[in-house]
Amino acid sequence: MASNAQGSPVKALLVDDTAVDALILSTKLRKFHCETTVAKTGKEALDLFHEGKKFDIVLCDKDMPIMNGLEAVEKIRAMGEIDVKIVGLSADYDATEVFMSAGADAFVPKPMKLDVLSAIIQEVINKKNNTMV
Amino acid sequence: MEYANLRRQAASLKRSLFDQGYLDEQFCQVEDLQDEASPNFAEEVVSLFFKDSARLVSNIEQAMEKYPGDFNRWDAHMQQLKGSCFSIGASKMNNECTLFRNSCGEENAEGCRRSFQKVKREHAILRQKLESYFQLLRQAGPARTATRSGGK
Repeated sequence: MASNAQGSPVKALLVDDTAVDALILSTKLRKFHCETTVAKTGKEALDLFHEGKKFDIVLCDKDMPIMNGLEAVEKIRAMGEIDVKIVGLSADYDATEVFMSAGADAFVPKPMKLDVLSAIIQEVINKKNNTMV
Repeated sequence: MEYANLRRQAASLKRSLFDQGYLDEQFCQVEDLQDEASPNFAEEVVSLFFKDSARLVSNIEQAMEKYPGDFNRWDAHMQQLKGSCFSIGASKMNNECTLFRNSCGEENAEGCRRSFQKVKREHAILRQKLESYFQLLRQAGPARTATRSGGK
């Protein structure tokens, strides 16, 4: 079960304008008992942070209207959100460099497999548990 | 049993969709996400895909009409459609989307037009085949486990 210490679920922000992708990844996140919020653009994601919402992990697509994922990642980090794990996603397989330059912690090509997601969620939980000790 | 026959028909249809290249492994990954909480998840995803893709196809059509020669715009629209195709394992559609994008890269308007017609054709064919597949599954009902007959 993917939960932090004291049983609180992992809070995930999924940023993707493709409805099908968002549905599939939300369902995968639910398998790990994550509490998932979906934003359709980078701007929506940024607005959530401006509202004071906190997330343990952000899974962010690259190509989106209004504000793309790279710009959103840069701006989330510029807000001082340095602890949240940010994973870039794209069907564009060679987006690693651009996402890492923007400030992401990792890049995973779409579609993300369940075992990859499991490992990432477990990393987030371990980090959270270590912080709380 | 009628249920078993319908299940066999659905399995056979699905196998043919893979054999003929309409679907790839990604479709199985979507079906594998089904569980007791979401027993019809694959059908929901496919339904959403066709609703979304119809809109995207329309957007591409309008873009090609209103913005002739704007290959970047056409490509951006097709990229969205291609992404969705990839996510559900719509292999043939995905391939046609790629060919369209290649034509955009070459600034080949005629190539784009030909590819787009193929995208629309594959879209219609896949919709019809998947509708048949899910209709068979619905008629078959939920999967039943075998039970021992008679006796103590």
